[in-house]
Amino acid sequence: MTSIKLNNVSLVYRLFEKLTLSAPGRRRSALGGNIAKAGTKQVVQALDGVSFELKAGDRLGLVGPNGAGKTTLLKVLYGIYQPTGGTMSIAGKVDALFNISIGFRPEATGRRNIVLRGLISGWTKAEIEEKVEEIIDFSELGDFIDVPFKAYSQGMAARLAFAAATALDPEILLMDEWIGAGDAAFQQKAKRRMDELAEKAGIIVLASHDENLINSVCTKKLTLRSGRVESLHPVVKVPSRKH
Amino acid sequence: MRCHMSIETAIRQGLGGSLWPAKDNAPKQQIAILPAMIAALNGAFDDISKAMKLHRVWVALAHEDIGDQHRRTTLGPLWMLVNYFAFVGTFVFVFVTKDASNPSYIAYVAIGMLVWFYLSETITVSVSLFQREASFIQGTTLPLFVYVMRLTMQSVIRAGYSLAGCVLILLLSGYGIDTNWLLSLLGLLLIVLATPAFVMVFAFLGAFFPDSEFIVGNMMRVGMFLTPVFWVYSGQEGIQKYAYHWNPFTYFLEGVREPITAGIFPTHALAVTGYICIGAWAIALLLLGRYRKHVVFLI
Repeated sequence: MTSIKLNNVSLVYRLFEKLTLSAPGRRRSALGGNIAKAGTKQVVQALDGVSFELKAGDRLGLVGPNGAGKTTLLKVLYGIYQPTGGTMSIAGKVDALFNISIGFRPEATGRRNIVLRGLISGWTKAEIEEKVEEIIDFSELGDFIDVPFKAYSQGMAARLAFAAATALDPEILLMDEWIGAGDAAFQQKAKRRMDELAEKAGIIVLASHDENLINSVCTKKLTLRSGRVESLHPVVKVPSRKH
Repeated sequence: MRCHMSIETAIRQGLGGSLWPAKDNAPKQQIAILPAMIAALNGAFDDISKAMKLHRVWVALAHEDIGDQHRRTTLGPLWMLVNYFAFVGTFVFVFVTKDASNPSYIAYVAIGMLVWFYLSETITVSVSLFQREASFIQGTTLPLFVYVMRLTMQSVIRAGYSLAGCVLILLLSGYGIDTNWLLSLLGLLLIVLATPAFVMVFAFLGAFFPDSEFIVGNMMRVGMFLTPVFWVYSGQEGIQKYAYHWNPFTYFLEGVREPITAGIFPTHALAVTGYICIGAWAIALLLLGRYRKHVVFLI
């Protein structure tokens, strides 16, 4: 059964001051979260006691100001960052859409990029072969699929990325901001696929600054501030007004 | 204040150990060195085993890398062969005219250049490996060893072109293929075996100490002249003596070169190469196990 359960999850990491010959004032990188001093070391409290539980069909919207910990939380859920406190259990196959161009090579064709993306996502050869045509159909790229990726517009790249990321019906899909590119028709198509995913007992976690988007796509809203959960409540659906 | 408290709470829960400097626990840390090393090694082997299962990823990416580097050129990857011939030719016919007609010297330089360029290029690009792979490391959950093998594979493919050139030069110089070539192959295999370890050590060095990219780059440039790549050591005193005996690269080169140019089994060279290989792997495994989860915060 697909589920996510976080109990008091924290992420504290040291701001490594790289050994460098450059001037001391230019050593530190600007990162979000709370910065604290521990002796001579600087540490960042990126997440602080985050707890929530999601079950199949839930669509969680993460909101909060810049540096609140939205992306960090997504990366913890994906396994890129290892939490330093609390417990986390995730049941289900996770895929993520953080950076639409991740794994896409500018010189390779769209078709080749689907194969590479599949390999990077851990798909088997059979899964890749089975899904290639489906991804091409969904992206509606037509003959452009055999053109190098560098020739694609932002919208075309986003279509291919979204189609590839959602092709294997991930049980849990993590998104950092909605796929902003693409025309209105594709946006609608993407939303329909998201609805289908959620209906197929999936979980979606979407981080966004767009409250309207969160309200229309998600069923729950979690507000983060300085790495802490400020509020978590169901989204009240307001019927859209007919023009 | 709240921030301080919450961080301390995380540490009290014993969960911040790997990313947090536990100053007050110094005696405990000393006692726990062995379990920590075992844990690090387990972590490293876990990462390596996951990466080996994903071999199709790094093989595909390495081939794409090589293809991309020469995509719009007429000769394509054959440029690597041309570069190799150009360097060997330059050193044989221009710099050392006295020995240019000596077939054994031509073989000496051809094999020396093959091994030196492989090691030099691999080490130089390893230092910036994690920086170059930042988008992958920050956006996917691929094991770090995937990037190490991607670079190793790329280096081996590149060296394959130089190897073809080297074999051609040896044959044209009158060195027929015989059993000594198998001994040379043993030396080459040891170098390839050591490559992922070198890549890891230098990649972590570059992640923690960014300036090392330039330091290592310069050292490798100078290193070519301090390594018996094209000069022959015949018992001279002075800097050449130290550059020959105390330079680890000497043994990598001689392990491959001696069987063909001198017709002997390079026992000493292979032994030293083997020790360096074991040492490099030991350091690399500890680094990978201990710091693989930290890299994402460093790049």
